Amino acid sequence: MRVPVVVKIAGLTLATTAFYTYVGQLVPQKEVHPPVEIALSKEMGPDEMRRVGRQIMEGKGLCFTCHTVGKSGALRFPDLEGVGARAGNRVPGLSDVEYLAQSLYQPDAFVVEGFNPGMPVINRPPIGLTDDEIRAVIAYLQSLGGTTTVTMETPLPGQAGGEGAAGAAPQ
Amino acid sequence: MRRKALLAILLALAGFAATVAISTVLLRREYRPPVASPAAGEEASPREQALAEIATEKAKSDREKPYVEADYRPFPRIGSRTAIWVVAQLHLLFAAFVLAVPLFALIIEYIGYRKRDPRYDRLAHEFTKLLSVSFSLTATFGAALTFMLVILYPRFTSYLVSVFSLTFLPYVLLFFLEAFFLYTYYYGWGKFSPRVHLALGLGLNLVGTAIMFIANAWLTFMTSPAGVSEHGALISTWEAVANFTWMPINVHRMIANVAFGGSVAAAYAAFKFLGATSDEDRAHYDWMGYIGNFVAICAFLPLPFAGYWLAKEIYAFSQTMGLQMMGGAFSWLFIIQAVLIGNLFLAANYYLWLGMGRIAGAGEFQKYIKYLLILIAVCFAVWATPRSILSTVAEIRAMGGSAHPALGFLGVMSAKNTAVNILILTTYLSFLLYRRTGKIATVSWARAGNRAQLAIFLVAASIVVFLGVYGYFVEARVRIAFSVPQVLSVLLAMVSVTVIDVFMFRHARSTGEARWGRIPAISQYVLIFIAVSFTWLMGLMGYVRSGLRQHWHVYGVVRDTSPDAFTPTLGYATRVVSATVLVFFLLIGFVFWLASLGGKKDWGSEAS
Repeated sequence: MRVPVVVKIAGLTLATTAFYTYVGQLVPQKEVHPPVEIALSKEMGPDEMRRVGRQIMEGKGLCFTCHTVGKSGALRFPDLEGVGARAGNRVPGLSDVEYLAQSLYQPDAFVVEGFNPGMPVINRPPIGLTDDEIRAVIAYLQSLGGTTTVTMETPLPGQAGGEGAAGAAPQ
Repeated sequence: MRRKALLAILLALAGFAATVAISTVLLRREYRPPVASPAAGEEASPREQALAEIATEKAKSDREKPYVEADYRPFPRIGSRTAIWVVAQLHLLFAAFVLAVPLFALIIEYIGYRKRDPRYDRLAHEFTKLLSVSFSLTATFGAALTFMLVILYPRFTSYLVSVFSLTFLPYVLLFFLEAFFLYTYYYGWGKFSPRVHLALGLGLNLVGTAIMFIANAWLTFMTSPAGVSEHGALISTWEAVANFTWMPINVHRMIANVAFGGSVAAAYAAFKFLGATSDEDRAHYDWMGYIGNFVAICAFLPLPFAGYWLAKEIYAFSQTMGLQMMGGAFSWLFIIQAVLIGNLFLAANYYLWLGMGRIAGAGEFQKYIKYLLILIAVCFAVWATPRSILSTVAEIRAMGGSAHPALGFLGVMSAKNTAVNILILTTYLSFLLYRRTGKIATVSWARAGNRAQLAIFLVAASIVVFLGVYGYFVEARVRIAFSVPQVLSVLLAMVSVTVIDVFMFRHARSTGEARWGRIPAISQYVLIFIAVSFTWLMGLMGYVRSGLRQHWHVYGVVRDTSPDAFTPTLGYATRVVSATVLVFFLLIGFVFWLASLGGKKDWGSEAS
């Protein structure tokens, strides 16, 4: 039986789209949800701050989209392993907390040698971390090779003074 | 004949029903709200009394209900986002076609005018036949998209309208002008002097391009907003229009539209070729398919370079967004893209190789095809190699990580950039061989010209490979910069070799004319495959462009707080793309059928 041309074309169209759909099912299937807000309190101790800081870096902060911990080689952004030990010596006159705060509030103020500027201002949209969230992140960063000294009451140079500005426009 | 017509209508209806059924199945596989089974319970007693009380309560609360502006409204079954996604994609596909066809129809008409060859004029007219119905479908889907945005995303749509209020009236005016130019261009074929007609075609293209530029401002603003305060208040309309990604998208879309339009027009020619009953028609549609595909491939070759520019601007706007695109949530999408583009290159080359058979004396070049095929297959494989491989825990342990110890090196940017540039050079070489088939250069410097071309090819390929390998040994910022000399060397090679070839084959001796129509039928199915792949690619890249915003309507300015404010799996995205592509081809099949009615006899004369 002779198959009509239209049927052959329809079959080819269906087979082609089916093939590409199949390829789409072979790759990792991951849903990306909006970041979940983590409740912070002024009473949090260093352990709790480090744990929450790590969570923020993995989620809302999007830090691990670019940064790595414990990876070497040709990296696009600085690896964070040992940053807690290095932070106090990076910029003369800045303590580790001040340097880490500066790198989050004004990321272009000091760019590590060998890398291009490109980090977003972390307390502005689209990331929009609050000052308290940034304190928790600093606590975790200090723990990478150093000791956590920051508390939820530590004043940070450059802090906005409250809520992050994410989604300030019509929601 | 009546039975045939009836059968065709029945087949079309059955096809439509099948497409709707397939689309429904594809769309409802995920994210369907759970079906709650009604709680089994006994009726309240006395039931009528209770119902009356409820009705009274409802009437009272209805009267007292305050007006609340809705942020979002749901769309049944598939959800608002998917509904907007499908309609927007269909609108864009038809719009791309309507913008692209006049561009190359005008060029073909101009060539015919300059050469005084009526074949070109007939070809341009045949391409234009596809336009009027497509234009109506574009407008219909555009209206549907507008209404659905207003209904489903009222607050966000209101915000966009407030930012771009100055652009809407010019847009409507341009739309009227496009209708004027399109219909006078189409219906005025052969009725005006050639120069007036060409001027109409030019007007159509200018107006169409301006429309696209305005619409692109709206969508690129959503990705890379500018001209507004952090709180979303408008500061400058012009800055909102000329945002980071506006011009790269304008250029990328213009080129992609031509590639897509050429491929769909070639598919139309293939459809007509396969149904042709005379040698004359087969010859005409073979030629038309060749021209359509030639247009598509010519536009396709520089498309990756336009893509580089767009990606660069995305990185310049936001490193976070750029890294999400290439290394985060969307990185696997580019493996699917590599499969599509690899298939397109393979199919385009295969069509050219089949086409060589039309011309006597093709054997001289056909012996090189196997080497080109090997090169293309290797580049395709490199491009489609992922950095990390899906594997079991045992396999990951055996490999020493998620990246394969050897193949993992092919999954990085250096290898992929090298592969795609060599792929482009190889396809260009295939085209060059096809162009030379059946011709012998008669200029005195032919031997030197051939050597110069070979040297240019070798130098370009060496630069591409050298920088690709060297990229493994330098830091990231240097490696990223290597893509520019790689791209430039390929572009320069293509331009310079073409210039040499054009001059070298002027007044060339012909060893055999192209016998149009003498090509295996499978070549026509290749053209249809190319059109479907292009359409699917457009759908996929449309998804990534829009999906990059993730949970933002306007990135960093207006947050998406709807239930759909998450990025779906790639599996779901590909199913939506496939459903859209199937609906598009059903509708474009209708356009092809309508366009082919022009050649049929009138009802009265047929009956008599």
